[in-house]
Amino acid sequence: MTYTYYPGCSLHATGVAYDKSTKAVFEKLGVGLQELEDWNCCGATSYTSVKKTVAYAISARNLALAEKTGHDVIAPCSACFYVLNKTKTRMTEQPELREQVNASLAEAGLEAKMTVPVRKPLEVLINDIGLDTIASLQTHSISDFRPACYYGCQIVRPYGAIDEDPENPVSMERLFEALGAECVDYPPKVRCCGGMLIATFEEVATQLCEDLVDWAVERGANCIVTVCPLCQANLDLLNLSGNGTRTKIPILYFTQLIGLALGSSPEEVGLEHGLVPVNVEAPRLVAEAGTAPATARGGAA
Amino acid sequence: MTATDEARIGVYVCHCGFNIAATVDVEAVRDIAAGQPGVVMARDYEFMCSNAGQDLIKRDIEENGVNRVVVAACSPLMHEPTFRAAGEEAGLNPYLVHIANIREQCAWVHQNRVAATAKAESLVNGAVARVALHEPLEATYADVNPTTLVVGGGIAGIQAALDISDAGNEVYVVERQSTIGGMMARFDKTFPTLDCAACILTPKMVSADRRDNIHLVTNAEVEAVDGFVGNFTVRVREKARFVTVDCTSCGECVTVCPVTVPDPFDEYMSTRTAIHKAFPQAIPSTYTIDRQGKPPCMEACPIHQNAAGYVSLIAEGRFAEAAKLIRRQNPLPFICGRVCYSPCEDACSRTLVEEPVAIRSLKRFAMDWEREHEPEPVPEAPEHDYSEKVAVVGSGPAGLTCAFDLAKEGYKVTVFEKHDRLGGMLAVGLPTYRCPRPVVDRDIDYIKRMGVDMRTGTELGRDFTLDELTNGAPGYEYSAVFVAVGAQEGIALDIPNEDAEGVVTGIDYLRNLNLDLPQETGPRVAVVGGGNTALDAARAARREGAEVTVLYRRTRAEMPAEEDEFDDAVAEGVRFEYLVAPVEVLVTDGRVRGLECVTMELGETDGSGRPRPVPIEGSNHEREFDTVIAAISQHPDQDWSNTPAGEPTVLTFSRWGTVEVDPDSLQSTIPNVFAGGDAVLGPATVVEAMGQGRRAAEAIDKHLRGLPLDGFTSHMPSPDPRYGFEERPYAQSPEYADIEKAPRATMPKRPVDIRVTDYDEVDLGFSEEEARSEAQRCLHCGVCVECHACDDVCAPKAIDLDMEDTLTTLEVGQIMVATGFKTFDATRMTPYGYGRYPNVVTSLEFERMLNSTGPTGGKVLMANGEEPRAIGIVHCVGSRDEHFNRYCSRVCCMAALKFAHLAIERTDADVYQFYIDMRAFGKGYEEFYSRVLHEGSTVIRGKVAEIVPSLSSNGDEPHLIIRAEDTLIGRFREIPVDMAVLCSALEPQADAEEMGRVFSLSRSPDGFFLERHPKLDPVGTTTDGVYIAGCSQGPKDIPDTVAQAQASAARILALIGRGEVLIDPVRATVNEALCGGCKTCLSLCPYTAITFDEEKEVAVVNEALCKGCGTCVAACPASAITGAGFTDDQILAELTGLLAPVGTR
Repeated sequence: MTYTYYPGCSLHATGVAYDKSTKAVFEKLGVGLQELEDWNCCGATSYTSVKKTVAYAISARNLALAEKTGHDVIAPCSACFYVLNKTKTRMTEQPELREQVNASLAEAGLEAKMTVPVRKPLEVLINDIGLDTIASLQTHSISDFRPACYYGCQIVRPYGAIDEDPENPVSMERLFEALGAECVDYPPKVRCCGGMLIATFEEVATQLCEDLVDWAVERGANCIVTVCPLCQANLDLLNLSGNGTRTKIPILYFTQLIGLALGSSPEEVGLEHGLVPVNVEAPRLVAEAGTAPATARGGAA
Repeated sequence: MTATDEARIGVYVCHCGFNIAATVDVEAVRDIAAGQPGVVMARDYEFMCSNAGQDLIKRDIEENGVNRVVVAACSPLMHEPTFRAAGEEAGLNPYLVHIANIREQCAWVHQNRVAATAKAESLVNGAVARVALHEPLEATYADVNPTTLVVGGGIAGIQAALDISDAGNEVYVVERQSTIGGMMARFDKTFPTLDCAACILTPKMVSADRRDNIHLVTNAEVEAVDGFVGNFTVRVREKARFVTVDCTSCGECVTVCPVTVPDPFDEYMSTRTAIHKAFPQAIPSTYTIDRQGKPPCMEACPIHQNAAGYVSLIAEGRFAEAAKLIRRQNPLPFICGRVCYSPCEDACSRTLVEEPVAIRSLKRFAMDWEREHEPEPVPEAPEHDYSEKVAVVGSGPAGLTCAFDLAKEGYKVTVFEKHDRLGGMLAVGLPTYRCPRPVVDRDIDYIKRMGVDMRTGTELGRDFTLDELTNGAPGYEYSAVFVAVGAQEGIALDIPNEDAEGVVTGIDYLRNLNLDLPQETGPRVAVVGGGNTALDAARAARREGAEVTVLYRRTRAEMPAEEDEFDDAVAEGVRFEYLVAPVEVLVTDGRVRGLECVTMELGETDGSGRPRPVPIEGSNHEREFDTVIAAISQHPDQDWSNTPAGEPTVLTFSRWGTVEVDPDSLQSTIPNVFAGGDAVLGPATVVEAMGQGRRAAEAIDKHLRGLPLDGFTSHMPSPDPRYGFEERPYAQSPEYADIEKAPRATMPKRPVDIRVTDYDEVDLGFSEEEARSEAQRCLHCGVCVECHACDDVCAPKAIDLDMEDTLTTLEVGQIMVATGFKTFDATRMTPYGYGRYPNVVTSLEFERMLNSTGPTGGKVLMANGEEPRAIGIVHCVGSRDEHFNRYCSRVCCMAALKFAHLAIERTDADVYQFYIDMRAFGKGYEEFYSRVLHEGSTVIRGKVAEIVPSLSSNGDEPHLIIRAEDTLIGRFREIPVDMAVLCSALEPQADAEEMGRVFSLSRSPDGFFLERHPKLDPVGTTTDGVYIAGCSQGPKDIPDTVAQAQASAARILALIGRGEVLIDPVRATVNEALCGGCKTCLSLCPYTAITFDEEKEVAVVNEALCKGCGTCVAACPASAITGAGFTDDQILAELTGLLAPVGTR
């Protein structure tokens, strides 16, 4: 089993821990992950408001390249996932747009046929690999983690990556519970983190992020687990504000936690990139669970 | 006048005020029409439907010789009757008046005046061309049956029935539930006057019950409707309620019923017993027993032992009753409680939660308890006293069961047993550590006490012959024989040196030990085989002090031995080796010294459905053993069947040596000889053999009573163990996934190190507490457990568990459908947390809470039993929502205000309402709204975004937070409450589509039944004689429902009063000369109006049923069918007129 890996700009910058941990998890599971050669920006949300056709062309170029690999695309960043799927949908629905875009792609010798599925790693892990397989490959206990599973908005709508109730997805909870971590009830799991408002209307985004963190902290979570680099960045930045009045909480990628369970080291899953140290006992070998604790390394504090 | 008369057509173009004239140039249309062939008069007029307009037509007919009329106006649905009547008054046949619709499909839908005018001209030209060919038609009349059917016994149905019966007519009310009263019976107060729902409803219910001319058919559904207005034939299925009308409603049965299930009347918030009455004032007051098929455990059992029944009694601590119930069905209760392979447990619905109920061990408990606490049970006297004698050969489980059943029936039964001990395989094959000897004897003693004669040491074929038994030889005067000799001959391994000393079959080994015959056991024992006999022999050999190895040629997964026994064997130190098979017995001095074995691997699946073991070449190896027990299988011997002279027997045998019998009746080739048990099945289990004995007893009884056995079916239906919890209605609430897991009780056993030293029983049995808590795991998935407890206490003897559904055919003239609504499933509205958070409740749940007979006795309580401090009432849940239902459910605003009023009255809670728009449209509603506002309810205008549990770490009690935008102040608000009430939408019944088909009703896009006209005929439907009322037509409150019911009743009474219905002459007729008898039309007719005359070989149209739809006309390949008023000539003429060019384009 092999997938085409589309990291997008985030995973090579602020979301480098997501990049590391995704690769680590797929390696542990023995599933191939080949980075798409010569990929470019997904077109992101910003360019769409400047010039739509160009934005779709930028995005579609990635799809055209990926189609040639013959493998499904995995796009860990929720924005990339959303934009690539939006491009697919629009170009399928609007033949004129497809003609325009493919005309420009043709100059580079490319054509986007809209045939390649663009998927989220969470969905691939659950549907293609399966909870049983993942649990059977677990080597280390993560039972000291009490995650609040935060899905954010773009993974559930409008192109639901996971086939469940968009108002109350539970696949991350199922995943971590299969790995022995107890998740807290986290009602705001699909609320907005503020997204790019952090740059334009900071106080609005900050309020949204504060709510998200407060929910988790007051429910006894010792980490928030995300599937999106922007969610992670927005929430983690909050750990720097508040002049020490706010409770700090590690904001992890779900792949980091899975990686630890499958035996990756804290460095291999990029734990040190977080702004707050992971303040739980280091995952121990499942067989040794119950022996002397050691503190997990990593984190900038 | 005939069609050959010259057509003199009058055309009348209506302005309809601006409705037509604004878009269509009516004068131009008139002028064009005037120039058409046959038109002698063309006029336009502002309102043709006015008296003055109609007079124009009349005058032209009377004075100007007009004999055909075209009115270019609105839809014929509106005024065709008006203009036809006008023509008729002037002496014209009404079917010579035709309407050209230039309003709905012309003036109203076009904006371009030129094009619209051209279209109107074409339409008029078509009508003119058509009407010229019209022929006078005569309508006919049919009598109206004055009896009426009301479907649905809610307030609408009750009210309509009362009104119709007031006028002296018969009414049938068919209601699906066990009581009439419908939804209203579940309400507490009614808005806006706050009358008690029961106080205003129950007098009407009682009145409906008392009237001689109202017939209530409850627990019933209409399955089919045939016929036409005035003359419907209706098929009604009245479901068995298992309690007869003799019920006095004393309620004694409820006190003894051991079953409790969630009560749908209380929205599953409380429980009720299996025998129940929906609510105290239910009408009819007859109780009902809730049964969802047979309990699966009972169905799966070969003797249909009533497992759920005794389990439920044990759960209640009624142990003596449980034992008594077991004895009703089971002749070997002590034995079955120990060694039955319990197919009931495989079928148990509890498996869908975690593990099956430990039914076998509970049976053992009940029987052991009886032995310790109860006097020796005395068999009941037989039901009859028959003179016939029956011989049973073999005292195993099959023979004993047959003897038990026949003795109970009143036959004289003699059991012949070749061994000195009774019990067959139970005595010789069953090790005592599983089933002690006294236990076997106890069961057999009871059968002896029933008067069964048991003769041991007498062997068929040795002491007497089958001939003697069947031919009434002296001393053997038997009318029938049941042969149940078992399958007691062990099958050899079929390998070299098998006759060596130290090799024994499993069954011989066990028999020798059981009967204290000489049997040597060496220190190293090999047991070959993987069935129950193999394991019994292995565990026995352990008790003889040997080291025991079981050699099995497949793997554990394929081993037929039972899980329990396997676990016990492993615990006792029996070693298991898989994928190994002996190929030769190794011998020294005629004595076994070991086995040569081969290793196997699993290959293709064989006939038994298991993978076939295949030897691996070159894997031969030697193993050392002192004793080899071959326990691969048994088969019956056939020596007993030989006649003394050595003549061939008349019985036939299969290639496995089993007796060939009819699989249903178990009758052999000799008519009065029946056979069963292992002798027929081959080696099977105790309860399977018992099932055969029971089947044989039933067949023998029939045979002896002179009844034919052709098509014999046992009273025991074939088991369907997969009819489990999922298919049963209670699966809806609670979901079995939500049922709290409770592990199955484990059987206490004697310690391994002690038990392997003796033959005492291994299992110790449950304590009373263990038994009760284990029995409480039963889900009552079939609801009634058939324990007959109610039967025993019912003074008027009204319980009848054999009751069957009754099918009735009613002849009625008209039908009113008032089947009500269901509420929106609030779990679909995920952000509101219904089903996830305990104190989020639906309006119906809150309604039941408020009701004095409801689950909380009228108190508003949270899940923890405390009163809420704040309550949020959420409007429009599933209504006015693009995701679910776009319509307004109309009742929720007022119901929510009622809830607020009652909550304020009965609690100290703060009450918040979250609404989108407050719809207080009815009489007194706005006043009610302001009254509730003044009482202190807070209203917030805004749709709720989500309901989430609050944070508990702020020192406060856990509560809910309702998040909503307050659109009046433009702020987002988070309101903390303890309880949220969701006002769920009203939706069409789940089976509205099917009901629509049955009653030929259309449905609007929202799924509710469609009225004939939304304003002018809100209770009529497109099917003449069928009316709708109440919420089946659309969401509405009680006043509107009652108004519609009374409107329907008035319509029904009007037709009854008239006494006859006009049957439109527009219908099909068959030209018999042309009809080729192909029958194409028969299957196409949607009204089943066409039959086939076999004599003349032509299709015949029933004029009363034909609706003139024309399907057959179009389909007839011979053009033999014409539609009066729609002949081919008329339609072609109309098309020609329509398509002809007109001048003013």
